[in-house]
Amino acid sequence: MITVPRLVTPERQQRSDPAGGWVAIAGGVILAASAFLPWAYSFKALDGMTLLGFPSPLQYLGLVLGLLVAGLVVCSRRIKPKGKIRVGWVRGAKAAATGALVYIAIIILSIAVELGGLINVVYGGWVALLGAAIAFAGTRLMIMDKPATLAQAQLRPTLEILLVAVVMGAALFATAFALNIDDGGAFVSFIAFLGAFVAVLFRVGAMGFLSGVSQRHRKVLILAAFVVAFLFPFTQGGSDANMSIATQVIIFAAAAMGLNITVGLAGLLDLGYIAFLGAGAFTAAVLSRSAFATADIHPPFIVVVLIAGAVSATLGLIIGSPTLRVSGDYLAIVTLAFGEIFRISMINLDGEAGPNITHGSNGIPAIPDLTLFGFDFGRPHIVLGIPLGRFSNYYFLLLVLIAFVILVFVRLNNSRIGRGWVAIREDEKAAEAMGVNVFGLKLFAFASGAFLAGIAGAVKAHQDISVTPDQYVFLESAFLLAAVVLGGMGTVLGVLVGATLLKLLPEKLRFVSDFRLMIFALLLIIMMRFRPEGMIPSQRRQLEFHEEDEELAERIDEEVEQTGALKGAGI
Amino acid sequence: VDILQQLINGLSLGALYALIAVGYTVVYGIIQLINFAHGEIFMIGAFGALTAWILIPGESLGIWQLPIMLVVGMVAAVGTSLLTERFAYRPLRNAPRLAPLITAIGVSVFLQEFIRLFYGRIPGFPDAKRAITFPQIDYVTGPAIQLGPITIQRAALFTIIALVVCWVFLYVFVNRTRMGRAMQATSQDPDTARLMGINVDRIIMVAFALGAALAAVAGLAWGLRYTNIDFRMGFLAGLKAFTAAVLGGIGNINGAVVGGLVLGLVEGMATLIPGTFGGSAWKDVWAFVLLILVLVFRPQGLLGSRVVDRA
Repeated sequence: MITVPRLVTPERQQRSDPAGGWVAIAGGVILAASAFLPWAYSFKALDGMTLLGFPSPLQYLGLVLGLLVAGLVVCSRRIKPKGKIRVGWVRGAKAAATGALVYIAIIILSIAVELGGLINVVYGGWVALLGAAIAFAGTRLMIMDKPATLAQAQLRPTLEILLVAVVMGAALFATAFALNIDDGGAFVSFIAFLGAFVAVLFRVGAMGFLSGVSQRHRKVLILAAFVVAFLFPFTQGGSDANMSIATQVIIFAAAAMGLNITVGLAGLLDLGYIAFLGAGAFTAAVLSRSAFATADIHPPFIVVVLIAGAVSATLGLIIGSPTLRVSGDYLAIVTLAFGEIFRISMINLDGEAGPNITHGSNGIPAIPDLTLFGFDFGRPHIVLGIPLGRFSNYYFLLLVLIAFVILVFVRLNNSRIGRGWVAIREDEKAAEAMGVNVFGLKLFAFASGAFLAGIAGAVKAHQDISVTPDQYVFLESAFLLAAVVLGGMGTVLGVLVGATLLKLLPEKLRFVSDFRLMIFALLLIIMMRFRPEGMIPSQRRQLEFHEEDEELAERIDEEVEQTGALKGAGI
Repeated sequence: VDILQQLINGLSLGALYALIAVGYTVVYGIIQLINFAHGEIFMIGAFGALTAWILIPGESLGIWQLPIMLVVGMVAAVGTSLLTERFAYRPLRNAPRLAPLITAIGVSVFLQEFIRLFYGRIPGFPDAKRAITFPQIDYVTGPAIQLGPITIQRAALFTIIALVVCWVFLYVFVNRTRMGRAMQATSQDPDTARLMGINVDRIIMVAFALGAALAAVAGLAWGLRYTNIDFRMGFLAGLKAFTAAVLGGIGNINGAVVGGLVLGLVEGMATLIPGTFGGSAWKDVWAFVLLILVLVFRPQGLLGSRVVDRA
């Protein structure tokens, strides 16, 4: 194990805290001021940072981070805590400075990559880096304050509801802004900024406050989230490019959520999960009105969805049945083998090696668009003067689907069944001794997860127009698992974020398209090394992964006392 | 006659699986890790051997190149294996079971992509994004040997001989040397082994190196037998080899060899199954069905070393 010598010891912080504050403010101001200087040599890099006095959007974000550092430090000096409610000003400042440093570094690297060499970074960029570095060094020298207790704060209900609306609106704006960035470097930089900003919110305690607000107004929040998601196609001005990505993301997220039941809740590792999505898609394709469909019956789509879900769930039961006897690593291998059997069978059911069901590796093409209640999903529609294309139509359908999937997930998690899964995951023998129906619950985890993937697959078949076996290879299973693991096993928000990042990044990172699998693999390895519980972990998981960390256990204990619940256990 | 022919085919295929399976079994026996990336180590062994052939000037196919190719392939495979052990698995030694397994998947994808993207970039090297023709060395490949109605490929014979040699070597190493006995001790009880003065970290490295060396032999044999290699060849072969290791009883070296041979035979025989679900198209399915059946009904494997409690 490599140990890094600690430059900043607590004693040193004790001595230099006041000075550190001034240094941090200076760094923040320098960073903010540098936004008005040119950063890059050519307009072609990122979003045009060549003008003196006229910052580009990304430079404005640098300005925001600089002011954030300075402002938080000033607040930590000027504002005394009132009553029991503490704000983590210094924590926030430290996060902001770290985030600013990363953000500026990414921008400078992007300029160098896009224009070919660091020579293309103009003095303003170096000033910004210097400012961020100074701010970083300054905040390191400051004494960490106590954790924020902003979560206990309350505002008037009307104000809180307004706040929810504003936050959701900001999220919609940020998403639309991010998706409309065409430049890869600019996109990565913007994601870095968002990451820094969210980290600051967490450290200051604002996230605790927001989660308190959202718990008090859960219905408003959920409604707002869906309104925002619903409004998203209207921000696209009739373009279907981003909507096509969005539909892919939702299908992927729905499948990941199903896998989350098996892996995240019940702790059963499934490496062949993509087969369930495939089973749903093939079922829908075979029953569709495509000229290549091999079944002669064409039931209405609602029935097809149910059949697809049932077929997948049956497969899930079959795959789950060995769990009676094997567990852990062996189960992973069994599921992997099942996944391969599924793929090879789909290739072989081509009329030569076996009965003709799937047309072999050519798959079933020309699946017609859906028509539900006279609404044709294939035709563009104009709503309120804004044209909505084919993918927007499917997007709305998929929103309903993912809402259903999340509902099932949450309801299962917060039920007797969910608690049984936790018990099995943590100690199977103890759970059995306590009267938990271990085998039944394991089977149910497989079947319910598979059912959700199956209905997602049914929609996917119509949306993709064709279904082929090579869409359902092991790598896709690994991707799904990665989405669950990177986001945070057992949580809804984490898996949504993980799925979105994993599907969105490759689309936006076209300039590294050849390397994206490699980057993904590295990310997976690094993540397991440094944060195995994922980006947005449930606290129970965090404890499971850091069993020896007494400090973490105490901190979570304290938070549970204050908020009354394990974070991430529900939504 | 057909049965005899498939017996030979199955045996030589099984010998390949057996060589790879040993790598899974020694590593699992000691640290209970399914080294998912082992299939890729096998692939890198094959590419290492190919590299040696490319670097030797001239287009010669003389048999004298074979040992050089083998050594270079082994060095590449062992080096990669030790690097992954050091930087990916060792930091996770005490983490929950899920973490190293997911890391192993990451390592596997990483190694595949690494070869795919960078092998062809070296000047004078073939593009690894497509299958690469493997050099056909004199004597070990070439016209097949005819024994009456039965055809035996020379490369198949080479594989079987390689397996026998490696098995003898393994047997001597594990049972007759200090290091081998230390390895057995570690696999039985790592904590006690450490108390007895065994350097467990080194034993783990030896286990990884041993598996990688045998995988490199398999990589070379694969190239000779199937006449081309590509960056994806490790996945299915690795999966089958793992099946073989489980079949024989994971953690048991002789079991891995027996399991490999049995699996190869099953695949060979499966091609003889008449009717719709037979033939070579379904042989992989039958191999995996066998895996599942063994895992469900006899998790300790055919030779059954010990029942590991896989919590």
